[in-house]
Amino acid sequence: MEEIFYLTKEGLERLKKEYQELKRIKKEKLKGEFPKILHSEDLNPEYIAFKEDFGFLESRINELEHVLNNYKLITPPPKGKRDRVQIGATVTLEEEDGSINEFTIVGTLEANPAEGKISYLSPVGKALLGKKLGEKVVITSPIKVVYKVKKIKYKLA
Amino acid sequence: MKEIIDFLIETNKLKEIARRGLVVWRVKNPITIAEHTFRFLFSSWLFSIEKKFSIKKVIKMALFHDLCEVYAGDLTPLFYYKRKSKRMMRWFRLSQKEREKRAKEKYELERESLLKLIKNLKPSLKNEILCYWTNFTKLLSKEAKFLKQVDRIETLLESLEYIGTDEEITGKGWWEGTEEIVEDPLLLEFLKVLQKKFYRTAPQYKKNKKLENLLDFLLEIGKLRRMPRLYWLANGIKKPETVAEHIFSVTLTTWILGREKKNLNMEKMLKMALCHELSAVYTGDTIPYIRKLPKDKRKRKEILKKWPRLPEKEKKKRFQKEYQEEKKALLKLTKKLDPFLRKEIVGLWEDYRKVKSPEALFLIQINTLAVLLQALLYQQKYKGYVADPLWEWAFEKCTDPIALNFLEALKERFY
Repeated sequence: MEEIFYLTKEGLERLKKEYQELKRIKKEKLKGEFPKILHSEDLNPEYIAFKEDFGFLESRINELEHVLNNYKLITPPPKGKRDRVQIGATVTLEEEDGSINEFTIVGTLEANPAEGKISYLSPVGKALLGKKLGEKVVITSPIKVVYKVKKIKYKLA
Repeated sequence: MKEIIDFLIETNKLKEIARRGLVVWRVKNPITIAEHTFRFLFSSWLFSIEKKFSIKKVIKMALFHDLCEVYAGDLTPLFYYKRKSKRMMRWFRLSQKEREKRAKEKYELERESLLKLIKNLKPSLKNEILCYWTNFTKLLSKEAKFLKQVDRIETLLESLEYIGTDEEITGKGWWEGTEEIVEDPLLLEFLKVLQKKFYRTAPQYKKNKKLENLLDFLLEIGKLRRMPRLYWLANGIKKPETVAEHIFSVTLTTWILGREKKNLNMEKMLKMALCHELSAVYTGDTIPYIRKLPKDKRKRKEILKKWPRLPEKEKKKRFQKEYQEEKKALLKLTKKLDPFLRKEIVGLWEDYRKVKSPEALFLIQINTLAVLLQALLYQQKYKGYVADPLWEWAFEKCTDPIALNFLEALKERFY
C-alpha cells in the first residue's frame, strides 16, 4: 500500500521550500563550494543541520521527494461536518475538574507534541479522530484520561 | 586538543545532573543525564535495526541529544507540571499557543547552552554536533522523529523502574506524554509489551517474543546505571561515576578523537565503546588483574598505590580468568537476543578484549584516556587521591599519536 503523507498548506509550502534550498546546498557542495545559507541561522536552524553532513542532506532530499510525490493536502471538511474531529482540527478538551487542554491533529511529518501538534497515528490522536463536539473521549492504556470535546476548530483557507 | 579536553570536562557534568522527573518524585539516588543517554544509546541502536537506519547516525544523534543540558539543566516537560494534590502530579494541560511559546523558550535556552558548550571546538566538530542536535530537536529527519519517540519511551521506562506503576502516585504523566508522541507501529507494539511487563495485563496483546526479549535486555543493562565504578570506590571516592556513565564518556571520547582516524570504522568503534563493559551487568564492576581487594584499608591502599606489577605469565593467567568470567556473563546477557545481534555484541566485546582489530586497539587507548581524565578530575576534587597509577597504565597502553597528544595536553591542563 502506498504511504500517504497528510500535510497542511503551510506544511507543504515549508517542505517545498526546504526541498529547493537543500537541492541548492547539494549543488554547491558538489561543486566544492561551501554552501551559503540564504537566511539568518537563527531563523533557519534546519539548514545548518544539513550543511555538515552530506549523508543527511542526501537522505533528506530523497525523503522530501518521496513526500512531495505522495502527499494529501489537509483541507477542512464541509461545513456540516466540522463538528467532528478530523486531521487538521484543533481540538479543545475539557476535563471534569475544568482544566483545558488543546491539540492540533496533524500528519506524521508535522507532528511535534511539544508544540501541541500530535500525529493522527498516536494513541491520543487515534482516540480523538471522529469524535463529535460534546462527546466524551477516553484515552486508555494502563492509565485512563477522560475528556469532553469542548471545541473543534478548522483553519479555513 | 586543549579545546577537546575542556569540552570533555564540561560534558562530564552530565554525570552529576540528575534526571529532573525523578528528582521531583523524590527518588533516592536518581539516575543522571549521562546514564539516561547510555541506555537511550542502546535503545536507539536496537530499535533502529528494524527501521534500517544508519546506526552510526542514530548513535551520534542519541549521543548528542542531551549535551545541551550541561548548562541548561534537564528542562523536561515537568517544568510545566502542576501539583494537583500532595500525591499526584499530572501531564500539562495547555492551549496550543502556550505550548508553542514554551517549546520555543525551551529550544532557545537549550540551543544557547549547547552553543556555549561547543563554542571553542573547531568548526567541523562544532557543526557536526549542532547538525545532529538540531536535527533531533527540530525533528528534521525520519531518524530524529523516530528517536524522539524512543527517547520518550526511555523516559517512561525509567519512571516505571524507579517510581512504579501506581497511577495515584505516578504513572499518569509519563503515559500521557508518551501517548501523545509515539506513532511508529514498532514502538506502539513495544508500549504494549511494556504495559504487559509492568502491569501484567495489556488489552489486545499479542505475544511478541522479540520485543519482550529486547525489553528484558534493556532492563538488564539498566543495572549499569547506579553501579559505581569499583576502582574509584576502592580509592575512597564518594559517589563516583557509574559503569553506565563511564560508557557514556568512552563513547563520546571515541567519537571526538576517532573522527581523525579516517582509516577506522567509526560505527564499529561507537558500538564497541557501548559494549565494552556490558559484562559488568553480572560480574559487577572489576579492576584489571585484581579480583579481590583486602578489607584492611592500609593493605588496600598499598595495593592501589601503584598499577599492578605482575610477571607476564601471571598477567596472562589473570586476564584469561577475567575474560572467561566476562564472556560467560555476556553470553547470559545476550542469550535471548536475535542471534545476529547477539553475535554482533559478543563479537564486538571479544574484539575489544582480545584487541583483534585496529578499532579495538584504538578503543583500549580511548578507554584509558577517559579513565585518566576522570581520575584527574577526582584528584582535583578530593584531597588524598592521586591519579599517578593511572598514568603508569596510560603509558603502557597508549601508542597512537592522537592518544599521546591527548596525554600531553592532560599534563598541561592538570599539572
